[in-house]
Amino acid sequence: MLTPVVDAALWTLLLYLLLTAIAPPVFYLVSVLLAPRRPSRVKKMLFESGQAPLPSRAAPFPIEYFPYVIIYIAYAVFAVIAFIVVLDMLRSSESLIRGLLILSVITAGAIYASAQLPSLKQRLERGATA
Amino acid sequence: MIDPVQQFLQIYNAMPEAIQTLLRFLYSESFIKAAIFPGALFSTLLGIFAVWFERKLFARVSLRIGPLNVGKVAGILQLIADALKFLSKERIIPEGVNKPLFVLMPCLALILSLLLYAFLPFGAGWVIYPSDIGLLLFFLVTALSPLPIILAGYASRSKYPFIGMSRIALQLFGYEVPLFLALTGVVLSTRTLNLEKIVEAQVAVPLAVTQVLGFIVFLVTLLAETERLPFDIPTAEGEIVFGWQTEYSGVYFLMIQLAMFEKVLAFCFLGTLLYLGGWLGPPIPGIPESISAPIWMILKALVLFTLVALLRGVYPRLTIEKVLDLGWKYLIPLAFLNLIITAGVSLVGESWSITL
Repeated sequence: MLTPVVDAALWTLLLYLLLTAIAPPVFYLVSVLLAPRRPSRVKKMLFESGQAPLPSRAAPFPIEYFPYVIIYIAYAVFAVIAFIVVLDMLRSSESLIRGLLILSVITAGAIYASAQLPSLKQRLERGATA
Repeated sequence: MIDPVQQFLQIYNAMPEAIQTLLRFLYSESFIKAAIFPGALFSTLLGIFAVWFERKLFARVSLRIGPLNVGKVAGILQLIADALKFLSKERIIPEGVNKPLFVLMPCLALILSLLLYAFLPFGAGWVIYPSDIGLLLFFLVTALSPLPIILAGYASRSKYPFIGMSRIALQLFGYEVPLFLALTGVVLSTRTLNLEKIVEAQVAVPLAVTQVLGFIVFLVTLLAETERLPFDIPTAEGEIVFGWQTEYSGVYFLMIQLAMFEKVLAFCFLGTLLYLGGWLGPPIPGIPESISAPIWMILKALVLFTLVALLRGVYPRLTIEKVLDLGWKYLIPLAFLNLIITAGVSLVGESWSITL
């Protein structure tokens, strides 16, 4: 059951959400009132820093940093595990010792990974050429 | 002599029912919190002040004067003039862009940045949405905020926004994990996710003293998450024009800039709450505590913001490899070490309290 306090807080949050949601339309309306409207072909061109526009506009994702995206997958899980362990540690002193053990294993892994990371990139590059 | 309160009550009672209801609504706690303080009006005015403050400070660092002429004192109205200028510029949408995404993403970025203020307490009770998981809610909105940025870069279909977009994706991937781990350290030592209780737990010593490592990690991730120098590679002006914001102009650019500044300020407030003791401070004579608390809070956050703004004048921009290496190789192990030290300290503290 919702207590009246929670109700008031939720109502305030909804009111605030409404206010933030109408901010962009208000900006847009003021811009419609103030801004001129003189479109031309040159204005509509993409910014090319003085060079001739390219037919293909999408740049490829820089593959040399791909290893960092891969380790994100591992570390995202690590972070969630650490968070759950911490929540567990807050319960009792027994779980505090257990949690400390898990945390030290994860930390050792993170330090080892950071020592290995420079060679990870080179290894992937070597694997690509081989 | 007529009592002004009595006079007001007479006028109030003579009004029609609808206006009475409206007045009651305008005076209600919900409306004041949502619209004035710490809600919409306050965060917008603070954002404008912060941009002015940063420009003035940055100018002083580089031996210039900064905004001067607009407004009576030190160009204080310069930012209002700038905002009006942006609003009165033509809205240009380049051809070939993904139009719905291109138009909507600045709005979404602004809404998400402003939403961060809903969970920040500015004093006991001075919060829009008091919640037992306030810290998690703040982190949730923070974790969503790269989405409009990446989609805006994607929607532009142009090469500089594309490069900026891939840079910001890599940067935010790398710094979300240490930020989360630093916040976990705070949760471990204060034993709560409620931001008000986190502040109350710092009555004796602020956490910046007991968790130096965590504070350092938080400060660096603050800079990286909000794209401040030396971590502003996604919008590096000298290299990729203006990064993911290149194709934006006029009102859209104004919204993006406002969103970025509100995010920096929200992070400064969060840093104050988590590490600098929030609104705790010596009482100011003559001012009740309910008013002096937000003053302390804002002062501390401004000190943090001054540090952030000073770094812009002092440090050169990092390269993307250095940014990624710093995040993955140093900050994550540091954040884990901080967790272990905090856990060890609380273990020692607990065994002491058992033997005593």
